[in-house]
Amino acid sequence: MSTTQIHVETDVHHDDHDHHELSFIQKYIFSEDHKVIAKQFLITGIFWAILGGGMSILFRLQLGFPDMDLSILKPILGEWLTPAGKIDSEFYLALVTMHGTIMVFFVLTAGLSGTFSNFLIPLQIGARDMASGFMNMLSYWFFFLSSVIMFISIFIETGPASGGWTIYPPLSALPEAMSGSGLGMTLWLVSMVFFIASTLMGGINYICTVINLRTEGLSFSRLPLTIWAFFITAIIGLLSFPVLFSAALLLVFDRSFGTSFYLSDIYIAGEALPNIGGSPILFQHLFWFLGHPEVYIVILPALGITSEIISTNSRKPIFGYRAMIGSIIGIAVLSFIVWAHHMFVTGMNPFLGSIFMFLTLIIAIPSAVKVFNYITTLWRGNIILTPAMLFSIGLVSFFISGGLTGLFLGNSAIDINVHDTYFVVAHFHIVMGSASFFGMLAGVYHWFPKMFGRMMDEKLGHIHFWISFVGVYMVFFPLHYIGLAGFPRRYYSFTAFDAFQGFTDLNTYVSIAAIITFGAQFIFVFNFFYSMWRGQRAPENPWKSNTLEWTTPIEPGHGNWPGEIPAVHRWPYDYSKPGAKEDFIPQHIPYSDTPESNMPHEEE
Amino acid sequence: MEAKAQIPRSESQMLRVNPKKFILWLFLVSIVMIFISMTSAYIVKRSDGDWLIFDLPEALLYSTFIIIASSITMHWGYLSARADSISKLKVALSLTFVLSLAFLATQFYGWSQLVDNDVYFVGNAAGSFIYVLTGLHAFHLITGIIFLVIVLISASKYKVHSRKMLQIEMCTTYWHFLGGLWVYLFLFLSLYN
Amino acid sequence: MSGIVLGLGLLLVVAILIAIFRVSTLLGIAKKEGQPRVGKANGINAFLLILFLIGSMALLFWYSYTHFDSYNLPLASEHGAVTDRLFWITMAVTGVVFLITQILLLTFPFKYQYKETNKALYFPDNNKLELIWTLVPAVVLSLLVFSGWKAWVDIMDKAPDDSEQIEVMGYQFAWAVRYGGTDKELGDSDFRLIDLDNRMGIDFSDRNAHDDFLATEIHVPKGKNVQFKIRATDVIHSVYAPHFRLQMNAVPGMPTSFWFVPTKTTAEMRDELGNENFNYELVCNKICGRGHFAMRYLIIVDEPEDYEKWYKEQQSWLKLNPDYMSKVPEELREVAAISAGIDGTTD
Repeated sequence: MSTTQIHVETDVHHDDHDHHELSFIQKYIFSEDHKVIAKQFLITGIFWAILGGGMSILFRLQLGFPDMDLSILKPILGEWLTPAGKIDSEFYLALVTMHGTIMVFFVLTAGLSGTFSNFLIPLQIGARDMASGFMNMLSYWFFFLSSVIMFISIFIETGPASGGWTIYPPLSALPEAMSGSGLGMTLWLVSMVFFIASTLMGGINYICTVINLRTEGLSFSRLPLTIWAFFITAIIGLLSFPVLFSAALLLVFDRSFGTSFYLSDIYIAGEALPNIGGSPILFQHLFWFLGHPEVYIVILPALGITSEIISTNSRKPIFGYRAMIGSIIGIAVLSFIVWAHHMFVTGMNPFLGSIFMFLTLIIAIPSAVKVFNYITTLWRGNIILTPAMLFSIGLVSFFISGGLTGLFLGNSAIDINVHDTYFVVAHFHIVMGSASFFGMLAGVYHWFPKMFGRMMDEKLGHIHFWISFVGVYMVFFPLHYIGLAGFPRRYYSFTAFDAFQGFTDLNTYVSIAAIITFGAQFIFVFNFFYSMWRGQRAPENPWKSNTLEWTTPIEPGHGNWPGEIPAVHRWPYDYSKPGAKEDFIPQHIPYSDTPESNMPHEEE
Repeated sequence: MEAKAQIPRSESQMLRVNPKKFILWLFLVSIVMIFISMTSAYIVKRSDGDWLIFDLPEALLYSTFIIIASSITMHWGYLSARADSISKLKVALSLTFVLSLAFLATQFYGWSQLVDNDVYFVGNAAGSFIYVLTGLHAFHLITGIIFLVIVLISASKYKVHSRKMLQIEMCTTYWHFLGGLWVYLFLFLSLYN
Repeated sequence: MSGIVLGLGLLLVVAILIAIFRVSTLLGIAKKEGQPRVGKANGINAFLLILFLIGSMALLFWYSYTHFDSYNLPLASEHGAVTDRLFWITMAVTGVVFLITQILLLTFPFKYQYKETNKALYFPDNNKLELIWTLVPAVVLSLLVFSGWKAWVDIMDKAPDDSEQIEVMGYQFAWAVRYGGTDKELGDSDFRLIDLDNRMGIDFSDRNAHDDFLATEIHVPKGKNVQFKIRATDVIHSVYAPHFRLQMNAVPGMPTSFWFVPTKTTAEMRDELGNENFNYELVCNKICGRGHFAMRYLIIVDEPEDYEKWYKEQQSWLKLNPDYMSKVPEELREVAAISAGIDGTTD
């Protein structure tokens, strides 16, 4: 015990006078170091995840225990509680909207890509830092600003944006339609503009760094799959976020200047509006042109992280490296031409529906290839179940379960009945929400030693995994049944309909499971912060992994490698190579050092 | 072994563009996406019907010529910088600056011509789109002008010459891009009215 | 109720505290040199994965079997039979894939768990395997796509000419339903004509509008083609009738439609379910604001003769709201009075 504490202190001092003088602000706040920026993204992401998750608990309380008196929460919720101590129905929608926005954008886009792209790209490609440290810093601070604006919007009197995270006009355009569409929606849009700027700056940096700053010998065909995933994700973001900007800009004009891009034939609050000729469907096209690629922006980095972790902990090369790259690229390309499957029943031309159904189901093929490759990687491995590995296996399990229900939703004929029901909620919470979230957790467990020079507690990690894994299935799997029974999304209560009187027990059960699962995340939070200061000191290469980041000092300083950057001589997956002395050969070891294990084509 | 290791080295070195220039190119890609989405929205909206038909203001044609001229002077400036003729460079950049202001003025005049023709920002989406497209382009052009002024200042301090080309190269790229973008928008608006 | 939740919260706090305690004890035992690379936890976790697999599959099958009737809504439309069949075909295909992949994924960590003496198989690729599992999903998917596409095209096809036309309009937070009246033609409408009484903005300068009537319940004839003409006046709503597997958004400024053939009358369905109070319901399924969750409307499926009888009994909107006669152009008033079924002349 005491030895650990001494280590902490020496460590802190050591860090302080290691490099040339940087003030505290330059070092930890307006830092241009990619590792610090990554940690900033991660901690902001954790903050948002707790807030977004907490909101879901609030509305789960309403759904699971409709009669409950929440007056205890009066100090927090204030006016949003009815005198009977129930959540106001408009506040319910605000919660749903904020939960979606926060989780999709702030946690699973910024928190995931921002953390791991920033942290791993320079370390795994052998670069001293990002192409532009300054832009990287701006990227974080724009995200921070966007966060602050969104956070403020939660506390304004008319409430935050409440029209769903997809902010379909006219609902989001007319303050008369709901109070959240007033100032709250304005702040949402402003916040999003900063968020888009942040994502673009980050993405441009990632692409530029991967293309230009790879170390000697690291060709694209030797790039770890994590980097491939981050790289392609950044390209998707670069092409899709500007479109969200266009959609939002036209919405701003409709809201504040009276143009008619999206509005037409509206009679509200006792008067007919002058807008003529606008089309709400146009917004949906523009929105989903971002929105669908966004789903892959969320899941691809998680899949990249998983590829790396599964291979390392199976002590086996990832199966079908090239097929994995091919399917990442395939998914990326297809993600841009499937957006309208979110719009089968919007009254869109049915012919377009046919085309989009066809394209949508094609995207299942690269996804299936990925799953089969993961399973084959496990086959005849020598599997070590670290917490990171367990979370990765959990991710693959979710990716299968949620991916398969996508085949129902992508089929426009079946979609007619399940569109916008809880079936959809179950589908995307499993395949995109939980899967990416697990990818993020796996990444934290795996690279924590590199981030903070200490190990996270393994036992707590295992407990965290089991409650989360079982919990996620217990929360989201029952929603499939509820959805098939026709329960619509975003309903404050199901008492108004005879058809939806059933399932009260199941709803209660789901809510309890959600509370437990959410609670279990605090084990992680505790483990995270505790291990940061008190965790066991990490060895240089704790997982005996091949990639370059493990050749840096245990706590890499500014510039990552104190001496020269190592050159790369092989692909990153030489695990358990026949004839090799150990079950891994890092990327920087030349073939000439390993004559015993070289394949015929690798001999010089 | 040596031969093996050298192949990828030369391969990856070939790709190395100056990171700043590369960032600029990626930035241009995101601007292109904004305008692609806007013009696609325009096409989709137009096919919905209820579309006001009107003549494009003449001013927009003049501004097209002006921006092409500014691109030429900008390029002249770039070539002068490469040839180290600093005085020509300054003249060229100043000319570009004047032409860019002329462009903005013409665009603004174009708006007033639109208003004279009873085409307003608020009203039929056909009109709104013209204002949005020209406005967005003008906004980007203003950022270009700021960049141009920065280059102009460093040129007057003799900091732009054949061995310090990065800044003016980037500025020229951006400027040509903005010119090309406007020509695209102009042709698009004339053909799809 | 809140007691239970509080109790749960407390339980969690306790659990966390125990965890903290364990960490501190764990830290006490500094990691010793020469410890095996992988501890006992590996085997336990691998075993738990298998346990989870068996447990969750058992739960899945038990629930799906015993509660089949509660999540499988009774069906009452022709096209619904097609989509339901597609649904179950897809379920069979995906079910098989689901079982195989989950079983492999969750048993491999047990079967191939780390042993000091083992060495993993170096197996970086195999083109044949990869080709197989690219092509097989491709073929299966194209079959699914093709059957789905055929069904979709049929459902979305133009409504037959003899369809009963019923206008369904969504507004915050209710539905308004209009029938064509004796001429079975729906009159024009315009959102600028909406006021507190004329909620649908019926345009009385159109002759077809004079005999139109509004209904407080949607009546539809069994076995006939029925077309819903759908619109909205403020924000987007969605017409969703789960028993008919029917859904279409109601979009302001863009009229949509959906046609279907009801196959069971309300009475028949009541008998079948043994539920006296059963009713088909119309639901709003697109977030539309505060009252989104309560936009209920009843759909009554009648035998065709009962339907005709009900239809004839309805009184035109103009007759019920004679004030609006003033909105009818002068020259049409006489005709309007006749088609609206108003006896004598009004002022």
